[in-house]
Amino acid sequence: MNNIWTLLPILFVLTGSVLVLLLEVFLKREKKEYLGFISIIFLLLSGTSCVLFWNKGFSYFNGGLFLDRLALLLSLLFIIGTALIILISMKYLSLQNTNHGEYYSLLLFALIGILIMVSSTDLIIIFLGLEVLSMSSYALAGLKRSDKKSGEAALKYFLLGSFASAFLVYGIALLYGASKSTEIFSIMNYFQSDSTQAILVISGLGMLIIGFGFKIAIVPFHMWTPDVYEGSPTPVTAFFSVCPKAAGFAVLIRLFGPYFKQITDTKSIFMVLWLLSVLTMITGNLLALRQKNIKRILAYSSIAHAGYIMIAILAKSYYSLVFYLTVYLFMNIGAFSAVIALSKQDKEYLELDDYAGIGFRYPWIGATLSLFLLSLAGFPPTGGFLAKFYVFSEAVHKGLTPLVIIGVMASLISVFYYLRIIVYMYMREPSHSFKIYENNPALFLALFICLYGVIQLGLFPGNVLLFIKQAVASLPF
Amino acid sequence: MNIPLLSIVTFLPAAGALLFIFINRKQENLIRYTALFISIINFILSLFLYFNFNGQTAEPQFVEKARWIGYGIHYHIGIDGISLFLVLLTTFLMPIVILSSWNSVKDKVKEYHIFMLLLGTGIIGVFVSLNLFLFYVFWEAMLIPMYFLIGIWGGKRKIYATLKFVIFTMFGSLLMLVAIFVLYSIFYKTAGTYSLNIFDYYQLVLNPNIQIWLFLAFGLAFAIKVPMFPFHTWLPDAHVEAPTAGSVILAGVLLKMGAYGFLRFALPLFPDAAKKFIPYLAVLSLIGIIYGALMALIQKDMKSLVAYSSVSHMGLIMLAVFALNMESLEGAVYQMLNHGLSTGALFLCVGILYERAHTRLIKDYGGVSRQMPVFAALFLICMLSSVGLPGLNGFVGEILCLFGVFQSSKLLAILGVSTIILAAAYLLWMYQRVMQGPLENKKIFNFKDLSLREIGFLVPIVLLMFFMGIFPKPFLRKMDASIEHLLKQVHRAETYVVDKEAYIKPSLKISEIDINHNTKENRTETEDNE
Repeated sequence: MNNIWTLLPILFVLTGSVLVLLLEVFLKREKKEYLGFISIIFLLLSGTSCVLFWNKGFSYFNGGLFLDRLALLLSLLFIIGTALIILISMKYLSLQNTNHGEYYSLLLFALIGILIMVSSTDLIIIFLGLEVLSMSSYALAGLKRSDKKSGEAALKYFLLGSFASAFLVYGIALLYGASKSTEIFSIMNYFQSDSTQAILVISGLGMLIIGFGFKIAIVPFHMWTPDVYEGSPTPVTAFFSVCPKAAGFAVLIRLFGPYFKQITDTKSIFMVLWLLSVLTMITGNLLALRQKNIKRILAYSSIAHAGYIMIAILAKSYYSLVFYLTVYLFMNIGAFSAVIALSKQDKEYLELDDYAGIGFRYPWIGATLSLFLLSLAGFPPTGGFLAKFYVFSEAVHKGLTPLVIIGVMASLISVFYYLRIIVYMYMREPSHSFKIYENNPALFLALFICLYGVIQLGLFPGNVLLFIKQAVASLPF
Repeated sequence: MNIPLLSIVTFLPAAGALLFIFINRKQENLIRYTALFISIINFILSLFLYFNFNGQTAEPQFVEKARWIGYGIHYHIGIDGISLFLVLLTTFLMPIVILSSWNSVKDKVKEYHIFMLLLGTGIIGVFVSLNLFLFYVFWEAMLIPMYFLIGIWGGKRKIYATLKFVIFTMFGSLLMLVAIFVLYSIFYKTAGTYSLNIFDYYQLVLNPNIQIWLFLAFGLAFAIKVPMFPFHTWLPDAHVEAPTAGSVILAGVLLKMGAYGFLRFALPLFPDAAKKFIPYLAVLSLIGIIYGALMALIQKDMKSLVAYSSVSHMGLIMLAVFALNMESLEGAVYQMLNHGLSTGALFLCVGILYERAHTRLIKDYGGVSRQMPVFAALFLICMLSSVGLPGLNGFVGEILCLFGVFQSSKLLAILGVSTIILAAAYLLWMYQRVMQGPLENKKIFNFKDLSLREIGFLVPIVLLMFFMGIFPKPFLRKMDASIEHLLKQVHRAETYVVDKEAYIKPSLKISEIDINHNTKENRTETEDNE
């Protein structure tokens, strides 16, 4: 039952994180980019261990922490995501005069939090993971110490984040108070047998929805997103927009999977989630229309995407959810990488006007960014289309056709603002001279990986889909 | 013989576009010649399709099938008598438009040809797909190159026009996507297996109430594409702002995708709903005919005149489609080809004038025929073909259409004839004002007659116009069987007893050979949740 190997992926990341902190002291300023490579080596080790454990199914802490296939798959996904983030950060940090050591180690700590979150069904352990993730995130947001916006982002994130955590703990307490357990399955079993306390499960779950709704940035818990995304250093924004969000969804799978399976009367929670999904899709997309800053556009777009993913939860189709997360990881990190690629020493180009004409000046970056945007908008033959295809088709299959119609109409709105970026890139004359810093092989490697991911998942998702289905099939709900 | 000819015809342009990545952008002529060469090769290959096509059978031919993603999503292409000609039309127009933009596109030549060739693949893909997923992929993917073509090489209001084009089209097609999901789900629930194969869906007998919604969703997508009144507003903008080649492709082939969609999907898939809506759709088509023609009469800009004439002509085609009999459908398909040729040619002619004077306003011209006699002759033929002069292709198509419409409704046919009368009015009036009369504008004195290149792309069209006007038989005979089969599909509704309880008859036959082996296990697991 208890197997210490369970901790191996986390331990690798932890070792990497501590080692980076220690080594930083001994490295000269110019050589600090090596710390990135060290982190990546440990991420690779951790990822390899995830792959090797695929057929094993370990658990530890009396089942408090376990590695089922879903946990392994998601862990692997997050490890890849973090590795991509590190690749795109290396030159960025040097150019922006930010410290390397703290950055990598905080990023790895955040990853540890995520890894804990996805491999547990115990609410307390999930909460622990979430806090590890959140604390590192707050610090990461404020990493650009000389920039006031970055400080503002950190403070906002911290205040609102702790508020959300309070809701979360309160929700857990309510559920625990009634069922005397913090483990999701036993909580659900308890409420299944004792339906007189439906009000407790509803209010408890409501609190949890608020807490996690903050993490995954759904409307109306999204207010922090644009400011934090705009203020944080761009690679950190890329990280925020993908990893914590996806981890939140992973927890929601584990939470609502048993809930929808075991509780008979799920109508009220279902309605709440339905409404939140609609609100998120519509508000996110509408607000994105008015933005002029590319980071803010992507922030609102990531809110809207959370809305689409919510549909998968409502449809109880978890393979399509995980597939969406996979595609989303590549296309969103890809889009941010392209934004980072379009920056020079000590200056980032983030306003839409800056993008005028760059499609022809930097054809490769322009084409790549366009592809990511088209994928985000859901055009075939990119991964974004297939991701939406699966989520929406599963939802229709479960009779959620009105929701899907709202969803596709919301994505029609999104087409407008994604295409507007492309309009600037290709159809406007450049407004000022534009020079980017091109000697950045790590970044281009990350761009290439994301590009490959988006195209591969769009045209031949077969194997990935097979693994995802295996992982979901192993779930007990 | 196991050459995947149809796949080659479909993907050769895209492969050519990939090749361009390795060509230096400064070698503009090399790029132009390569694009022209690829498109001509593609046309020649597509001629093999024509000559090897068996007109006796309605079965799809040159079928290619391969496993792709699974769960009903497969690579499945083939052509029948209807799609054959639309593919041919596309491959015929491609070299012409590439030739026509030889001088007019001067900057970003490489990107221009990349998008042009990608567009070719997208359009051909739409016509050959037999799997709904594949069809939708091409249908949407084709928007992207067109978006760039209008947006980068377009006129003054190009950004407005291109966004309007994309948003309008996507509005319809996203609702169609939802309808596809519904079909996909219904098929799974009734047959127990996944399929997106169009022939499987032909065998579905759907509840008429569901059919109504599905027909509306599909119909809206196609009606926007055609475009039928009142969804036509994107068309004049897109046409006026698009570069000449873009207009030619847009009018020549893109609009046909809408009509083709009705023939292939909306009508045969949902026959009961189609029967219900056909009267309204026919009236809308009629409004389109008259409205488009009247709008064309008052246009000051030659390009928007031709654009509105498209609305009017497509109205006649749709009217014929909805008449649903042998003559009308043959006429409709034939007229699609005619419209592709004649309107395409008219846009080319306007483009030729524009290249010389850089204005499209009718009032800036006058007496051009004195300076450009060869052009005047060719322009006149193209116009008369559009008007429907006997001996030219337009006549055959229009007469067949009107015969067919007359059989189903005399009133509609009588009103529909106005398309010919009004076309004669607005086109001949334009010709008179532009080509004849006193030569007042000094610029026109410097006009040179057509260059060899310009003759090179106009003459093939004109020759084909005569050929199709005098010998329609080689075209019509190849489509007979397919259209007969289509009619059977659409009229099958009456032979079934409507079963309001179930979506479908239990006696459904599944033609899909490939049933995914792990379909069942995975599905049972998710269904337990319900």
